[in-house]
Amino acid sequence: MDRQEFLEQMQDVMQTETELNFDTKLEDLEEWDSLAAMATIAFLDQNFKVRITYKDIPLLKTIEDIAKKAGV
Amino acid sequence: MSEFIKEQFFIVTGASSGLGEATALELNKQGASVVAIARREDKLKELKSKCANPDNLYIEVKDLSQDIDNLPDYIKTLKEKYGKFRGMAYCAGAGSIIPIRALTYQDTLKLFNINYFAPLFMAKGILDKRNNIGKGFSLVCIASSAGVSPSKGQCIYSGSKGALIMSIKAISKEVSSYGARVNCVSPSIIKTPMTVNDEGILKDDNKEKYPFGWGEPHDVANMICYLLSDKAKYISGQNYVIDSGGSL
Repeated sequence: MDRQEFLEQMQDVMQTETELNFDTKLEDLEEWDSLAAMATIAFLDQNFKVRITYKDIPLLKTIEDIAKKAGV
Repeated sequence: MSEFIKEQFFIVTGASSGLGEATALELNKQGASVVAIARREDKLKELKSKCANPDNLYIEVKDLSQDIDNLPDYIKTLKEKYGKFRGMAYCAGAGSIIPIRALTYQDTLKLFNINYFAPLFMAKGILDKRNNIGKGFSLVCIASSAGVSPSKGQCIYSGSKGALIMSIKAISKEVSSYGARVNCVSPSIIKTPMTVNDEGILKDDNKEKYPFGWGEPHDVANMICYLLSDKAKYISGQNYVIDSGGSL
C-alpha cells in the first residue's frame, strides 16, 4: 500500500468527510473517538500485521504517526 | 397520515415481495421516499405501479447475496445517487428447513450469506457516518422468532437469525454515539411467498400456540415503520417478536 492509498483507507477508518492529510491532528478530528481508535488498531493488524494496543493510542498525534506504525 | 416527508430516503431490501413489499408500500404511503431493492425488476416495477406515491419510489435491481464484501461500496454509490439515508429496512432473507442429520457445510454457508452476512455488510455501509443523516437514523432488520425460539429443522435458520439479533445489539452500542438506532423485528408465521409451503404449520395441535392464526405482512410492516420513525427515538438494540404469542 502506498502513502496515497493509505490516506484513502484512513478516510474510511475514520469515516470522516474531512479531507485527511498526513499532518491532520487526530485531536482536531471530530470522528477520532474510541471506536475510531479500535478501528485503527484493527486496520493496522489487517493490512500490515502490525499489532498495537490501547496503550499506544495516546501516543498517536497525527495521521503521520499512524503511517509510521504501518511503515508506509 | 404522513409520518415522513419525501426528503427522507429509506432503503428497503427484499422489496419485491412479502415483508419488504409491505414495508416499502407503507413507508411510501406515509410520505417517505423509498429506494426499493430486489433481484427481480418486473416485481419492482409492479411494486412501483401499486404504491401510493410512485414518484417517490425508486427501483434498484441487485442480488445482495453476491459479492457481499462490496456491499458497503454499493451503499456508497446509492448515497451518491440519492443523498444521505434516513433509514433502512433490511427485509431480504431466505427460509430453510434442514435437520442436523441432513446438514451440509454448503447449505450453512449459503443461508448465512443471505440471512447474516448480507445484512451485516449492508449495515456496515449504511452505518458509515458519511452515508446517513446521523441523529435520527434508524435501521431495522428482519430476524425471526426462530432466532429466539427455534423449532425442529431450523438449526441453521435459527442460527443465522439469532446471530443477526445479537450483532444488532452490539452494533447499537457502537452507533448510539452519533444518534443512530438499530433494531430487529422477529416475525413468525406471516403469510408471504417465503412461507407459502408452510401452510401445514397451523395444524390443529398448533392452533393453541398461535391464537391469532397467520399474520399478514402489514402486521410486521407497521412495526418496522414505527421503529424507523422518530416515535421510536428512545428504542435501540432491541428485538421485537411478532408471533401471535407463539414463542411464549
